[in-house]
Amino acid sequence: MNTFKFLTLVTLFIGFTSCSNDDDSTPVLEIESETVSNLQATQTADYSTNPPTITGDYIKFSFETGTTTTSDNWDIAFRGSTIIVNGGEATAADQPIRTANAGAYIVTGTLAGITEVNTELFTSDSSANGLAIPTGSDNGWYHYNPSTHIISPIAGKILVVKTNDGRYAKLEILSYYENSQPNDDLSNSQFYTFNYVYQPNTGVTTF
Amino acid sequence: MSLNKNNISIFFLIFFSCFSFSQEETITKQDSTKIESLEEVIITATRTVRQLSSLPLPAQLISKKEIQSVNSSRLSDILNEQTGLITVPDFGGGEGIQLQGLDSQYTLILVDGVPLIGRSAGTLDISRVSVGNIKQIEIVKGASSSLYGSEALGGVINIITDNPKYDFKGDLNSRVGTFNTYDTGLNLGYKKENFSISTFLNSFKSDGYDLNENDALNTIEPYSNYTLSTKLNYNFNDNTSLFLSGRYYTQNQDYIASEDLKGESNVNEWNTHLKLSHTYSQKWSSYFEFYATRYKADEYLNNTDTSRFSDSNFNQLLVRPEIRATYNPTEKSAFIAGLGWNHETLTRTDFSTQPEFNSPYAYLQYDTNPTEKMNIIFGARFDNHSAYKSQFSPKVALRYKLSEKLAIKSSVGYGFKAPDFRQLYFDFTNATVGYTVLGYNAVTTKIPELEAEGQIANIIVPLSEFEDELNPENSIGINIGLYYNPISSIKLNLNVFRNTIEDLIDTRVIANKTNGQNVFSYYNVHEVYTQGLEFNSTWKPNSNLKITGGYQLLFAKDKTAEKAFKNGEVYARETPSSPSFQLKGDDYFGLYNRSRHMANLKVFYEFTTLNLDANIRGTYRSKYGLYDTNGNAYLDTYDDFVEGYSIWDFAINKTLYKNYKLGFGIDNVFAFTDTQNISNISGRIIYGKLNIQF
Repeated sequence: MNTFKFLTLVTLFIGFTSCSNDDDSTPVLEIESETVSNLQATQTADYSTNPPTITGDYIKFSFETGTTTTSDNWDIAFRGSTIIVNGGEATAADQPIRTANAGAYIVTGTLAGITEVNTELFTSDSSANGLAIPTGSDNGWYHYNPSTHIISPIAGKILVVKTNDGRYAKLEILSYYENSQPNDDLSNSQFYTFNYVYQPNTGVTTF
Repeated sequence: MSLNKNNISIFFLIFFSCFSFSQEETITKQDSTKIESLEEVIITATRTVRQLSSLPLPAQLISKKEIQSVNSSRLSDILNEQTGLITVPDFGGGEGIQLQGLDSQYTLILVDGVPLIGRSAGTLDISRVSVGNIKQIEIVKGASSSLYGSEALGGVINIITDNPKYDFKGDLNSRVGTFNTYDTGLNLGYKKENFSISTFLNSFKSDGYDLNENDALNTIEPYSNYTLSTKLNYNFNDNTSLFLSGRYYTQNQDYIASEDLKGESNVNEWNTHLKLSHTYSQKWSSYFEFYATRYKADEYLNNTDTSRFSDSNFNQLLVRPEIRATYNPTEKSAFIAGLGWNHETLTRTDFSTQPEFNSPYAYLQYDTNPTEKMNIIFGARFDNHSAYKSQFSPKVALRYKLSEKLAIKSSVGYGFKAPDFRQLYFDFTNATVGYTVLGYNAVTTKIPELEAEGQIANIIVPLSEFEDELNPENSIGINIGLYYNPISSIKLNLNVFRNTIEDLIDTRVIANKTNGQNVFSYYNVHEVYTQGLEFNSTWKPNSNLKITGGYQLLFAKDKTAEKAFKNGEVYARETPSSPSFQLKGDDYFGLYNRSRHMANLKVFYEFTTLNLDANIRGTYRSKYGLYDTNGNAYLDTYDDFVEGYSIWDFAINKTLYKNYKLGFGIDNVFAFTDTQNISNISGRIIYGKLNIQF
């Protein structure tokens, strides 16, 4: 008898809660966890000038589609070891125009362990304060070893990104080399592999 | 304080004249030799002749007999076999010594009491020292800046060269080994009543070796070097004597950077050392010493069309006059005091200036035996310096004889290492990657220059932080040891040590460049410690057999890193490209290139009837990390380690017709190599040796 009562209550409860969801008319989208492998972002440097002239296209990436894009709806873009966000202003003439108000910050932890977005920490690219994701060894996401010349992502550095349409994503860069293995002359560098988690629901600051 | 060459000569003259004045008041000397020569004696620990066994400091001697029976040819060979010492290859190609877990830049290397120089990247390459004319090697562990000033932070290694025997004597040595290594040495000595002279000539040639056949480079390129040293002793009378020595060393090595870039590297070094000793009375004596040395290293690379690709040079000069006096108020106590001046200059590629260091110093030491059982040494030294903070280095050491068989030794001392020229004046920009390294003193002028050229994106460390002087790296070293001789054939000793180093100099990013790279400079940051214990044992069951064993346990850690691990701020990856996870406090392994365990075992046997001696020696080193392999900049238990290894050597020597000695041996019998990680272990070396005495 008690069991029957209980089951009825549960059924009613479930019915009620699902009803309220329907009323909201915005279905909760599932959080997307993906891996991007070997995203190539080649830059070339001409050392005959001082300072050296760096050239190459920024490869734009959209978390919504989970792919690279050439449209204006990009979130972050890669060139060499530099990562820019689609927010703020260009810090050099050859960067793509920022079309949105995206931002980023770096936090220490594991990808799974970072469950909350701290919206106060976001910065955008700025000609005065530099990029939201700083360049240079140990400043941002990577460590450069001056003796082996290998660029390795610093363990525990998670990039939290506000996308071009105000949603959130977090990513951990795993490798800077094609197939995650630097070759002898390091000629297979500038290939990003990273894990990311994308929260597709607007305004939701948890993962 | 500034000093030019004229001032040096004035300094020199004053002391010289003082000296000649005082010489006139000589009092007839009585026999001042208080130590019988049967006991092993050591001079490095106190700058006076002391019995090794009565010393309150941890010290080790390597005798000529041992060097000859193991057929060593370079200093690195023989030091590698000692407890707690290991040679570590440097990226510049040299081999430096690690002592009590401290890097080679913290151990002072002396020849007959005066220092070797030429640490272009901090390491002093000890493979450049031939052991063919050595009487003994003295190793004193623990901070010794109270007597020796800078660099004597971990300890002091003093190479004592041999003195000629009576009449005309000489010996010729030739060793031929694997990799076409030819080591030829000639010792000539002459001595009569009050005069002696000796000359040592050595030629060393090797084809080098290659651990990795797949590239155009050899691990060690072919090289050859020559050493010439001469030593002269003259006793004007019973009380006054003159010592004069000179040494010249030259090395030439192929320098190959890639298939297209080839050149040569050359090292030229000379030392001159003059010492006037005078005994005024049984209680007073004085020494005037003048030492000058220059170390030059040049290298170049040519393109295939023989046009010059790069040139670099390093040229360091040290001049040091010193006067010291000893005073023995009683048989049981001794004072030693010294006053000196270091003058150092350096010209080097990639330097912002041609720096000059001047540093007058004074020291005092009191060595006393208040009771039969107790020996205490108090010492202190003051180093004034033109480029960094003056240093006061005290030390106290005590030995107490608990019984005839057991003694306890303990010492506490301060040690420091002056910032080197590179840390102060470097001005280097990497041509291919584009980062810049600036010496601490170069920052305030170079950053504005780079800024004016539009190369600086933003400054991270404000220039105002570079207005104070850079502190010397300094350490407090504590050693406590037990010395036990249960029976006359067994000697055991145990020493516990801890070196706490502050103001360790490291690099940090001080500005970002517009090219995305950084400007680095040096700063005082780290606090590290090395602690552990050392155990040595000797067993001589009879006059033919000697067995020795040694062990060192070591923990070498960075305090900031330790804290970061405890606070859970450090992450790691299982493989270079797997996701990160958090590390725990005990996952921190410690500093790079330190093994937790090192051990050695040596067996020496003399077949007296056959005029034959033989020995087997083994050394073991446990696993260690060379660099971070999992992307967190720390060495943790998930990193890749260089596996532990042991090396076994074997040597046999036979004396023929009294004056001829034939030797044969195999170093690294089991041909251990680790081609990936250990560049200074070449594999098995088979050699033969001939020694002729005349």
